[in-house]
Amino acid sequence: MQSDTVIALEGVSRTYGAGPTAVRAADGIDIGFRRGSWTAVMGPSGSGKSTLLHCAAGLERVDAGRVMLGDTDITTLDDDALSELRRTRIGFVFQSFNLVGALTAEQNVALPLRLAGRRPPRDEVRNALAAVGLGERAGHRPRELSGGQQQRVAIARAMVTRPEVLFADEPTGALDTSAARDVLRLLRTSADNGQTIVMVTHDPAAAARADAVVFLRDGRIVDRLAGADVRAVADRLVALEA
Amino acid sequence: MLRLSWAGFRERWTLFAGAVLTVCLGVALVQSSLLLLVSAAATSAPAGATALARMRFDASTEAAVALLGVTLGFAALLAVFIISSTFAFTVEQRRRELALLRLVGGARRQIRRLLLAEATLLGVVGSALGVPVGVALMAVQTWLLHRLGFVPDGFSGRWHLWIVAVSVGTGVALAVAGVSLAARRAARVRPLEALRETGEATRVMTTVRWVTGLLFLAGAITLIGLSPVGGAVGGQAMAMNVSVCAAIALTLLGPSLVPAVARLIPVRAAGVLGELAAASLRDDRRRTASTAAPVIVLVGLLLGQATASSSFTAAGREEQQRWISADLVIDAPQAPGAQIAATPGVAGASTEVEVPIALTTGSGDLAYTRSATALLVDPVSYGRTHPGAGDLTALRQGAVAAGPGADGFSPGDTVGVRVGDRDLGPLPVVAAVPQAIGGGATVLLPAGVVPEDQLAGVPSHTFVQLVSGVPRQQVVAALTGVGTVSELDAWLERDSVARTATSTGVLIMVMGLGGLYALIGVINSVVVAGATRPREFAAVRVTGFTRGQAVRAAVLEAIVVAVAGLLLGLLAAAGTLVGVMATTAAVAGTVTVDVPWLLVSAVVAGTVLVTGVTSTVATWAATREHPVALLGARE
Repeated sequence: MQSDTVIALEGVSRTYGAGPTAVRAADGIDIGFRRGSWTAVMGPSGSGKSTLLHCAAGLERVDAGRVMLGDTDITTLDDDALSELRRTRIGFVFQSFNLVGALTAEQNVALPLRLAGRRPPRDEVRNALAAVGLGERAGHRPRELSGGQQQRVAIARAMVTRPEVLFADEPTGALDTSAARDVLRLLRTSADNGQTIVMVTHDPAAAARADAVVFLRDGRIVDRLAGADVRAVADRLVALEA
Repeated sequence: MLRLSWAGFRERWTLFAGAVLTVCLGVALVQSSLLLLVSAAATSAPAGATALARMRFDASTEAAVALLGVTLGFAALLAVFIISSTFAFTVEQRRRELALLRLVGGARRQIRRLLLAEATLLGVVGSALGVPVGVALMAVQTWLLHRLGFVPDGFSGRWHLWIVAVSVGTGVALAVAGVSLAARRAARVRPLEALRETGEATRVMTTVRWVTGLLFLAGAITLIGLSPVGGAVGGQAMAMNVSVCAAIALTLLGPSLVPAVARLIPVRAAGVLGELAAASLRDDRRRTASTAAPVIVLVGLLLGQATASSSFTAAGREEQQRWISADLVIDAPQAPGAQIAATPGVAGASTEVEVPIALTTGSGDLAYTRSATALLVDPVSYGRTHPGAGDLTALRQGAVAAGPGADGFSPGDTVGVRVGDRDLGPLPVVAAVPQAIGGGATVLLPAGVVPEDQLAGVPSHTFVQLVSGVPRQQVVAALTGVGTVSELDAWLERDSVARTATSTGVLIMVMGLGGLYALIGVINSVVVAGATRPREFAAVRVTGFTRGQAVRAAVLEAIVVAVAGLLLGLLAAAGTLVGVMATTAAVAGTVTVDVPWLLVSAVVAGTVLVTGVTSTVATWAATREHPVALLGARE
């Protein structure tokens, strides 16, 4: 394993249910993500994409194996330590933006810092919003923003803690093409600046913006492409679904 | 963190306004009842009153204290119940929001602290408003007490500064207690639940809920079982408490019971709107149960108490009719002496004079003195006009018999009796007449133990038996000089009207304001249930429902839930009814029930009406925004 690996899954397995209806959503997954890399995770429905992401982020417990974030095995952490992890070393972006509706964009972005007991300087939060192109929208509530704008607030919220890894679950899934393009451009810039990103997607166009694409089927990693274009990614996905 | 709370406040103000309102009114009701109770207990008879008048005054204050004690008890019960369920509801309604906080790094401890801080704030605000409202409420309750004749003239509730501490303490404690259990559960929410609506979020019946619910249910059943052996006084108290226990039990078991009962209501017959209503009330069992809870409590408690009260009054009337064997009754301003019995045509006459006494039961450290009443009678005549009274021949000077309202002593015991300032000393209890459901004197004393001069101005009534065949008019004419002569039936009727008035007054005092409070709890939960789901309504509307249809489906759902609550409330009240049947059968030998149908139908119609109107207004408001705009803003 390379020394600049930020997060690594080692033999991770996760089964839902029991008996004949049991589903192996993760079946002995081994994968490491290098610092500053942007990896897309693809696969047919039910292939275990989200499970991989949730296990890697400590949102889901694993049945076997371990998840190393730097030197920490996060599968052994208790709930408080995991909460702390989420507000310091890990960031999330979801398809449904999951902003707190009662709070303004600025307050949403400040939330992880406030939960960590910090009173963030106004500039720090404003800069995070400015970085996603929403410096003017700080005082707006989520419902006053477009879908693309809400997702960018969510990205600012995830990045404000300077996490070691940013997990994105279908970040463009609910967006129109042009809003999706803005979001992907943002993620590309972050990755180029050294941000590690793990992104689940079913959109070949989104996956093609990543540095590498990992393909899953039945809870196993079945392939990996680096630097592929949209067509190559789409072809591989079609082949898997066949 | 506090700013986060504040932002939450603004966003969900209906939720919090409802919570503040329940604290405010609960605190006000408890404060007012408590101040009146303390004031009544501290009242003393006016100077210069005779010993007997002073005793009568003390007896009436003691009755007022007892009444206010029950009023306070019900107020406290309702406050605990409505405040805690409202607060738990506010937490449950925000489960997703809390999961979201967990997702961005909120620790369990932080979620708990946030919710407890909120509850404290709401408790403080609610109680601060509750203190002045309580002062206004005390004026209303004082007026009621005077109007219903439960307190002597000149009685007024006194303000004490310490009540502020009690009120605020109560309000905050109840709010925090209500939230703490829900907060514990909410803090356990897994962050992933913010992303989906399934999982643990659908688990509503916790072990604690099951166990406490079943315990209360067992309590209700036990009370029904024990009420026939509790005697007249104990049986009545137990029967009345059945509905209290049952209502609490059914509310706790609500998440399982309410949807099951609602399933029995043929709402699907209303077409697609009915189907949607049925599906959505089953889907969110927590909301369904929380909406039905105040209805169950209101209906169960109010109708349970009202039914018990009117049934026992009816049983008391029948009992009198059965027990008294006489033709005429003479009410006289004092004891008439021997002249009635000497009147031609009179076969027998039993004069009864009721005097207040101080009764001491137990001895040594356990001695306990309370206000009671004694009936001064001639044992032989009394036995003749009350054929079921049993053998009273042992009742003579220096002894007492346990009266129809006796409680806590029986033949063989020794009791201390003081009439006015005259101590009759420890007296053996030598006989007992059967306990009466309608109550009555605590002890019977032979006439003559109290000197004539002390009885001046104390009214009496005399039951008169006529010699058969004697023209009634003639005897009546001869007796008119003694006092007011009535036929027995007319006299019993008047007596029963007076008893009914008293028991109705007690009911109004105890349940009146409490019932209104529970009704506000009903309105509140309907508003909260409707106001917190605009997105759900929006989703229904984009699938093709008009605004009117969406509102109608929601109103239909609210009414079905209310009807399910009504049915469970009626079930709780029916528990008391069974207790009443058991008690009257055991004490009086026949089952007597008197269901106040007018009140029952008013409560049923009123609940449905209030729920329907409130739900219409709440959903109409919640569907004001354009559905697409609402669905666009994802949380």
